[in-house]
Amino acid sequence: MSAEQDPDAALMLRVKQGDTAAFEQLVDKYKQPVMNVVYRMLRDMTEAEDVAQNVFVQVYKSASRYEVSSKFSTWLFTIARNLCLNELRRRSRHPADSMDAAHPEQEDQPWQQFEDKKTFSPPETLLHGELEQKIEEAMAELPENQRTAIVLCRQDELSYEDIAKVLQCSLSATKSLIHRGRETLKQKLKPYLRTGVWRPK
Amino acid sequence: MGTEPFYEKLREISWRRKLTSAEERELREWLAAHPEAQEAFELETVLTEALGKMPDVLVANNFTARVLQAAEREALAGARGGQLGWKVWRRLPRWFPRVASATIVVTAAASVYLYHYNYNVEARQQELVQRVAKVQLPNPEILTNFEAIRIVSATPAPDEQLLALFQ
Repeated sequence: MSAEQDPDAALMLRVKQGDTAAFEQLVDKYKQPVMNVVYRMLRDMTEAEDVAQNVFVQVYKSASRYEVSSKFSTWLFTIARNLCLNELRRRSRHPADSMDAAHPEQEDQPWQQFEDKKTFSPPETLLHGELEQKIEEAMAELPENQRTAIVLCRQDELSYEDIAKVLQCSLSATKSLIHRGRETLKQKLKPYLRTGVWRPK
Repeated sequence: MGTEPFYEKLREISWRRKLTSAEERELREWLAAHPEAQEAFELETVLTEALGKMPDVLVANNFTARVLQAAEREALAGARGGQLGWKVWRRLPRWFPRVASATIVVTAAASVYLYHYNYNVEARQQELVQRVAKVQLPNPEILTNFEAIRIVSATPAPDEQLLALFQ
């Protein structure tokens, strides 16, 4: 893998040289996919935003040591997953911590700049919204590695090999995780999937 | 059904992208030969569509700005700390670390030697003090008759004339 083959790696090399504009480009490009992955791992919007921001701060802090050994996106999502796992471990050790506590470093900043984060499905048909909710609920019940594997599958820039690197397991184990996760989702969502009513004509 | 490599391969492809026309044709032919797999594959397709339609999570409109601020704070914290020392360290000549290490070793060895030397000197001094303390000095009163004792104790000068007679 070289910087010529991966334009994001080329941007990251510019960040390594102190190019803040290159860093901003990377943040703008990947903030949505990173939030999608982080939220679906943590299932809490406030924590997800905090962790997602920390992902990019870690990227910035690691810039001086960055080497193009794999795709930038693979490296980025590996950081995201590791930070999510740290948060999940912290939760398991301190389950009583308040989720609404103000962020210690950013008290002067308004934490939320949009109104309602619980309802983020578009205002389309009721059936479609219900299916989305059911999918989210079913995904939340999956084991973390299966859930992460399925969520990463949605990232077009990641191949199965890249997903395996993020999950730190073999290619066959990765496909097995995806298969098992999907089987579980199919069983839970069969009543909704079979109707086909929600599918656009 | 689900363990056929051909079917598995196409199924895994379908999880990530739409099958090409050629792939779809191959799959249709395979499913025609294995009708029991038809329903399962349709469910796979529907699930893939549903997962693909999951909406993006809302991202705060000041997300990038907050990240840049946090990164700037990290950069300032780094500049105040190790980075400044690192810049100074990089300008030193190559031989400096070795000479510095050797100096430290020699200084440490000399310090240890001096410490033991001084310790031994002090120990000897203390020992001497203890020895002297044990010696009993005479009573000062005997010195009052010192002059008389000296005169009485003085030996007479030799009689040289008498000595010459013996020779």
